Amino acid sequence: MIDLPLPVIQALQVLTIMIGAPLVSGIVAQIEARLQGRRGPRILQPYYDLAKLFRKESLAPAGASPFFLVAPLVAFACYLTVPMLIPVLTTYALPLGSMGDILGGGIVLALASFVVAVAAAGTDDAYAQLGSSRAKTFGAITEPVVLLVVFTVALLTSTDLPYVLAATVTSGPEQIIRPAHLLAAAALFMVILFETARIPVETHTGTIELGMIEEARSFEHSGPYLALLKWGSAAKQFVFYTLFINVFVAPWGLATTQQLGAVAIAIVALLVKAVLLGAVIAVIDNVFAKLRLFKITEFVSAAFLLAVLAIFTLYLGGG
Amino acid sequence: MLHQAIANAPTVFEGTANTIAVIVLLLEFGMLRAALLRAQVQLYAVQSLAVSVLAVVVAAGRGIPELYVLAGLSFVLKAVIVPIVVLRLLRDARADIAGSGALGVASEVVLSIVVAAFGFFAFGALGITSKALPTTSLSLSAAVILVSFMLMILRRDVVSQAIGFFSLENGISMASLVVAAGMPLILEVAFLFDLLVAVVVFGVLMRVHHGQSNSLSTVHLDRLRG
Repeated sequence: MIDLPLPVIQALQVLTIMIGAPLVSGIVAQIEARLQGRRGPRILQPYYDLAKLFRKESLAPAGASPFFLVAPLVAFACYLTVPMLIPVLTTYALPLGSMGDILGGGIVLALASFVVAVAAAGTDDAYAQLGSSRAKTFGAITEPVVLLVVFTVALLTSTDLPYVLAATVTSGPEQIIRPAHLLAAAALFMVILFETARIPVETHTGTIELGMIEEARSFEHSGPYLALLKWGSAAKQFVFYTLFINVFVAPWGLATTQQLGAVAIAIVALLVKAVLLGAVIAVIDNVFAKLRLFKITEFVSAAFLLAVLAIFTLYLGGG
Repeated sequence: MLHQAIANAPTVFEGTANTIAVIVLLLEFGMLRAALLRAQVQLYAVQSLAVSVLAVVVAAGRGIPELYVLAGLSFVLKAVIVPIVVLRLLRDARADIAGSGALGVASEVVLSIVVAAFGFFAFGALGITSKALPTTSLSLSAAVILVSFMLMILRRDVVSQAIGFFSLENGISMASLVVAAGMPLILEVAFLFDLLVAVVVFGVLMRVHHGQSNSLSTVHLDRLRG
């Protein structure tokens, strides 16, 4: 069996996220369509969409700053930086894996969302501005939840490296059936629903402009720039799924060696696990109704409650 | 603190017990948030089920067979009979939506988190240890009791107050599982029948109140004359 060099595995982590993200989105969209009794688009449709958009010309609104055109590139680069920091394929830390901890990854993701919001705010489109303003408002109230989840991880493992938490979770059942871990995972799941623009917060399909948050920000972009934004949001979704699966819920199937076979199995396992998680989220999409905009604080306060309880139970020594 | 957390990773039994206790507390918060009265009663039934499951876990894990009887009794009474009675009363009253609380839902939750935290740490500081369950469960049941008080104080309808009172009893029976798992069965059963009395009283209260003011809201109860 061939041993892959570490930098190649690291590159594979990024490539898996980059190339796998539209596939995961496509399969989840197909599952969602089937649940709604539709035939749904082809599984590979997101790739065709991206290819089509890359061939089209791109227009920028009059008076838009150069930042408007740079933002999609920066955001896409940010989304592909995070896979270097989290365990995508391997249980052991890769050379650049210690470049940043969970907070570091969070900052990179926040930067991506910030540049897109700034670019949208720089246009004269009311809806794009509305979307960026809302994204930042609600982003500010989900931030404490993310921080508390990170603190819980830090208390559980005495470090904030995602690799260590994954190793802790696989070490035995007593690490899984502990309230702090379960609560933090549940809180993170709610944050993921928020961040990937899923149903209790936002409808990710359709054109209901008044209810849009994240989706409204890309209204003014077109052509390859819009393609990068769409690809970026698929990559962001896959990054969040990976973080949830490989760090919190099911860090099994990861490669423990550098062998080619093990890494290949890890890629397939990650895609299968992401699709399973996507199926759960598609079911939630179909079961629940979208919350009114001002009810989103209630949703976030529930996530906050879970994260706070995680910290409490840990401090009491029973977590 | 940090190294403690790793070294003191609870055993699977303790982890399970604590997780169920946390679920009981979360359901209490769920009742605080629920807008529909019916949903509130259903959450109460699920919470009673969780308390019964906790009793079964303690019975199996610590070898206390009487607790199986208690779990069965409390399941039949609190998860089946009481919710059915309250739901029937609600059907007669034809009211679906609770009157709004004194505060917004998000503020209610945040305020209750503060109160629950007080309960947590106050009970944690007492240093009570028990052979049956980890001390965390005791702190969690204190939080359940305090949050059920918040439910009774903040919500302005008779059903919320009844459900708050009933779930208060759930918190107490969870606490009694921790401090006195081997308590004579007859005492536990006496508590359960106390609850039945409370159900009758609240049932009468709901009917009389609905008959007089044609709503379940308690907002107008601060006037001396109608």
